[in-house]
Amino acid sequence: MRKRHLQFGAAVLVAAATAGLLTQLGLGGSDKVQIGNGSVSALTHAVRTADALPQSVLDYPFAERNFASPNGGGARLLQLQGSLRLYAVPGKGGLLCLVEVDAVAETAGGACADRSTLRTGSIYMADLQEDGSRLVVGLVGDGHTYAEANGKRAPVQNNAFVLNHVQGGDLTVGSPTASQHVDIGG
Amino acid sequence: MRLRFQRRWAVAVAVIAALALTLASAAGAASYIYWWQRNMTPSDRGADSVTARNHIYNELYFGPNAGWRSEVWEVTPAGYRHFDKWCAGNCFNAHPGYYYTYSYCANRDGGTHFVYDCRDQW
Repeated sequence: MRKRHLQFGAAVLVAAATAGLLTQLGLGGSDKVQIGNGSVSALTHAVRTADALPQSVLDYPFAERNFASPNGGGARLLQLQGSLRLYAVPGKGGLLCLVEVDAVAETAGGACADRSTLRTGSIYMADLQEDGSRLVVGLVGDGHTYAEANGKRAPVQNNAFVLNHVQGGDLTVGSPTASQHVDIGG
Repeated sequence: MRLRFQRRWAVAVAVIAALALTLASAAGAASYIYWWQRNMTPSDRGADSVTARNHIYNELYFGPNAGWRSEVWEVTPAGYRHFDKWCAGNCFNAHPGYYYTYSYCANRDGGTHFVYDCRDQW
C-alpha cells in the first residue's frame, strides 16, 4: 500500500517536472520563454559622435532620474529610420533605457525597465498615431532576430526593431528557435 | 533734447522686453507633479485635469526597479486623446505644445505598484 503511494507521488513529480519543462520550451505559457541572457552587444560597440544623446533629452527630468550618467554616457545609437533615432542608454541600478527622438516631429520619448525584462521580452514604447494604430519601437537582448505584430514582421537590427501600423496590444519577439509574446497594452 | 528723450524710451522698452522674455522663459519651464508617492492600482489613474494647459511633457516614474507596463496620455477638454504612449517601465513623452490638454498617467500592469510620481510640463 505504501509502495503504491510512493509510486503515485513519483508519477506526480515527473508529470509536474515535464509540464514545467514544456512551459519553458514554449509549448505553454510563452511569457516564460527565455531568449539570451539579457546582454545587449550594441552597447559594447565603439563609441561614435552619433551616439551622443541630444541635449534636449538630457534636460528632461527623466534623464536625471533614470540614466546612469547625467550626460547620457554609454548611450548608443541603435537605429536611424528617416527622422527617427533610437538609442539604448545604460540606466541607474539594473535599469536599461530605450530613447526615441524624432527631429522632424520635434518629439522624444523614453522607457526604462529592469534589464531582466530583456530575457523574456522587450523594453518598448508604443505611440498612438493619427489613424488609431501604434508605432512600436523596441529594445531586445542578443539572440532576438525579429518582432512581429498583425502578421507583419520586422527584423531586429542592432538590438532594436521598429513596427509601424500595429493594431491591438499583442507583439511577438523571437529568435529562429523560440518566440515570446509581449502584451504591450490596450 | 528730443534725442535724449527717445534714448530713455528705447532703454525702458529694452528693459521691459528683457523682463518679459525672462518671465516667459520661466513660465515655459513650469512643471507640476500630479501623482505623488502612492500605490497605484490597475484602475487608478493620475490626472492633472484642473486646467487645460499647453503641455509639452508627461512622465510616469515607478522608481529604480521599474518593469511594469505603463501609459501616459493627454486629453483635450473636448475629449480628444493625444500623445498617448504605452511603455515598459518608467516612461516619458515630450512633444510640441500643439493642444491645450489635461495630462494622465496609469500603471497598466495587472497588479498594484508603487508609483513615485507623475509629472508634466507646459
